[in-house]
Amino acid sequence: MTVTAEPAVERSPKHRRAATTDRVKAENRLGLMLSAPAIIIMLLVTAYPLVNAVYLSLFSYRLTNPDQKKFIGLRNYVTVLKDSLWWQDVFTTLLITVLTVGVELVIGFAFAMVMHRIIFGRKTVRTAILVPYGIVTVVSAYAWFYMFDLQSGFINSWFGLGDFAWFSHTWSSLLVIILSEIWKTTPFIALLLLAGLAQVPEDILEAAKVDGASAWQRLWRVTIPNMKAAILVAVLFRTLDAWRIFDNVFIMTKGANKTETLSFLTYRQTITRTAIGLGDAVGVLLFLSVLLIAFIFIKGFKVDLSRVRGG
Amino acid sequence: MRNSIRLLVASTLLTPALVACGSSGGTPKLTWYINPDNGGQVRLAQKCAAQSGGKFRIATSILPNDATSQREQLVRRLAAKDSSIDLMSLDPPFVAEFANAGFLRPFSAEEAKGFTDGVLQAPITNATWKDQLVAAPFWANTQLLWYRKSVAKEAGVDPTAATFTWDQMIKAAVQTRRTVGEQGSKYEGYMVWINALVASAGGSILDDPQAGADAKAAIDSPAGKDAAVVIRDLSRSRAASPTLGTDTEEQARALFQSGRGGFMLNWPYVYGAAQAAVKSGDLPKSVVEDIAWARYPRVRADLPSKPPFGGIELAIGNYGKYKDTFALDAVRCITSAESQKAYMLDAGNPAARGAVYDDPDVIKLFPMAALIRSSIDAAGPRPITPYYSDVSTSVQREWYPPSSVNPDRTPAKTAALIPKVLKDKVLL
Amino acid sequence: MQSTRSRVGWGLGSALIVVVSMFPIAWIVMLSFKRPEEIGTNPSFLPRNWTLDNYRQVFKINLFTAALRNSIGIALIATLVGVVFATLVAYAIARLEFRGKRLILNFALAIAMFPVVSLVGPLFNLWRNIGLYDTWLGLVIPYISFALPLAIWTLSAFFREIPWEMEQAAQVDGATPWQAFRKVIVPLAAPGVFTAAILVFFFCWNDFVFAISLTSTNNARTVPAALAFFTGESQFQQPTTAIAAAAVIVTIPVVALVLLFQRRIVAGLTSGAVKG
Repeated sequence: MTVTAEPAVERSPKHRRAATTDRVKAENRLGLMLSAPAIIIMLLVTAYPLVNAVYLSLFSYRLTNPDQKKFIGLRNYVTVLKDSLWWQDVFTTLLITVLTVGVELVIGFAFAMVMHRIIFGRKTVRTAILVPYGIVTVVSAYAWFYMFDLQSGFINSWFGLGDFAWFSHTWSSLLVIILSEIWKTTPFIALLLLAGLAQVPEDILEAAKVDGASAWQRLWRVTIPNMKAAILVAVLFRTLDAWRIFDNVFIMTKGANKTETLSFLTYRQTITRTAIGLGDAVGVLLFLSVLLIAFIFIKGFKVDLSRVRGG
Repeated sequence: MRNSIRLLVASTLLTPALVACGSSGGTPKLTWYINPDNGGQVRLAQKCAAQSGGKFRIATSILPNDATSQREQLVRRLAAKDSSIDLMSLDPPFVAEFANAGFLRPFSAEEAKGFTDGVLQAPITNATWKDQLVAAPFWANTQLLWYRKSVAKEAGVDPTAATFTWDQMIKAAVQTRRTVGEQGSKYEGYMVWINALVASAGGSILDDPQAGADAKAAIDSPAGKDAAVVIRDLSRSRAASPTLGTDTEEQARALFQSGRGGFMLNWPYVYGAAQAAVKSGDLPKSVVEDIAWARYPRVRADLPSKPPFGGIELAIGNYGKYKDTFALDAVRCITSAESQKAYMLDAGNPAARGAVYDDPDVIKLFPMAALIRSSIDAAGPRPITPYYSDVSTSVQREWYPPSSVNPDRTPAKTAALIPKVLKDKVLL
Repeated sequence: MQSTRSRVGWGLGSALIVVVSMFPIAWIVMLSFKRPEEIGTNPSFLPRNWTLDNYRQVFKINLFTAALRNSIGIALIATLVGVVFATLVAYAIARLEFRGKRLILNFALAIAMFPVVSLVGPLFNLWRNIGLYDTWLGLVIPYISFALPLAIWTLSAFFREIPWEMEQAAQVDGATPWQAFRKVIVPLAAPGVFTAAILVFFFCWNDFVFAISLTSTNNARTVPAALAFFTGESQFQQPTTAIAAAAVIVTIPVVALVLLFQRRIVAGLTSGAVKG
């Protein structure tokens, strides 16, 4: 799949008028009809609930006290944005995101290089790499949790850490969460990078080798610059995924010890506390933060989405 | 194209079938939402269904392990008026919230009489909201002080003495290089501990819990301070469990049964569990023979302690089909004296009816039966308010981890936080 | 031509990858064979006493067998319907020029970026009012919706590679449009559709947020949600080894699918850039 520009077919004004022929109209109609089922279902599941969430976030509303539902405008948003817990969770989420994506990028790249180069055992490596991808996140969370947990884990005995309670401290809990997340999602980023790697023109690399460039120089001067688009797309997707992390936090710590992330905060306010008004405000803010990140990437880093959008 | 249309039609036609999945005709079926208890309630359900002579059957649906998750599961569905919830086993602190929201079917004075006659006071108090009985007391729980006789002897203390205090216990444990097992993880069990300390010190967490969102916090008081001192002293001493901040009931029990066990505050189930461990060969008999029990220790030497209160109240969902008919019969059967006795012997959870404790079979299995009963009688319940889960979370937030508790700041901060939470002025 | 040293280097690299990738799986398998009493009493990597009890318990518990049933059924239905819908869209995108094409693709992209947890509250209320709460359809619909972007991209990439002119060529050769479609296009499109189906299946199999928010009984609770609420029999204890056994059971289909279709999955995730 390569980055291709859209076919720019020039039409003269005369042709343009005639271009809105029946055929074009029929194609328009057919295209929309074929896409309709998908669009309808995507809209139903996102548009209505989102609008509903925005609407309810303007109320002071507790599920268990429905008679005291009161319209309060944007006050919930003010409450959330002034709250230290919100900012703490923003920080935690940011920390997790930056660390996981950063480490995954490096490890994933290494994996991609290995998969690209090896000939013997290629199938085994690919299979092994896909297992973390396909495995249920909850299972991965439990595996890593039990590994480090004092009651069931062997990490402490293997590394001679004695009684260290991994899940009693913030940084150690975060470490395990990050490890689990990295393990689970590196395959995906490795494959995205592999795709980019496979498209680096071999002849340029050969030319560089002939010119005497070392492997390291070839990597930095030729391979990576040619993969920029793929790398940025991979980083964008992983960043958004990491920003929304939920499963690992839920299973391992339930957000205790300052390991709560924004998704978990939303879940806790709406579903656990049934503080619907406040919770929906958090949810809407989370949605806006996702938009912000996407915006930064697409406009700021100029991520070229045409390769995934299929444009 | 044609295939997709066919699929669309097929899935639309399948919808009613999928939605109706699970409903069937035949004998009326009551669904009882239970907390996990090694199958005791399941067996009770079968017994009561059989006793009905085929009038109804009781299907059980198991809820998660911890009380907070149990509440979470029930609240959303009840708020959406789920008609499939006929009976539910509720943790006492949540009864107020459910009743206030109209989720529970209240009992008339007539019906209530059958459910409160001969029942200990604490379960009744926790099952009442706005002067109506909204749940039937099923079983009652309290925490005792469990200790190793050898350790107490070595330290020269007598935990069964009338004025045995936390301070004395901690000092004894430190002196003998043993531990005091408690539940300090950030969950409801920790709130149980804090509440028991505050109540034992003569105070309370809320001033007027019935006021709902306008309730005032009373934890910033000498009692609150005393409670904070106990927690701070224990968590910073050598007698604390190394994992106090993540310990729940099971970890405390494991610590108590280990070579470093000295004292433990825990529910009575631990005794049966220890004996079961001996039977399966995982625990030497000498450990169980070394175990003794006493009442929950005092915070102040001059004030009798108020042990924690727990248990289960059995409530009828207000949207169920059989709420006025079979559900009532089922509740009567499940909370009858003989059912409670059978359940106590089977699942190890103490009964809510006082007479059960005098039964010789019960005493044989629970040598501490009289102590359990007197503890329940003296128990201090957690605040009875519809906003209980918020109050509990607020307290846990300020008091966790146990090692961070500061008697000069923590109670005050808690008292400042609670009203804000109740009025939705702060994220929790 | 790779030198021996570099071959050994790459060989070690691949061995490392395999070990790191499979290690946690090996661990959870070990856990599943441990006796519950080993938890909390000086645990090690290997079980001290191997036992099948956990697996026996898991299959006795209705919660888990029902969850397996639900997961398989819901994932299959969502995959089927989702892939069909996505195929239609991808076909339109690959072959037709129509207004709103960019918009649709951008919309699908936006859906993929969506924080799902923001929706569970309102969705719960909506489902409750319609009667879809705690039903298969109640999960199938969100699954289809959020798996569609992935399926659409995968399929678009595959469809773009198909030489559509062959369909016309077949018709010129005398085949009817239907025959041309069936004999030429379908075999060419099948691998892509199959790959998309696998990826969608993985997505549905894995979902957690919807599963815990939109279900409450064995009617529709899927395996991830069941794992999180697997309370076992004890009042206070977490059934570590039983959860491990359940986790292994739910991983087996995934491993099987990966083993059998590794090539296709890689091709799908790399949008066809990497083959063979």
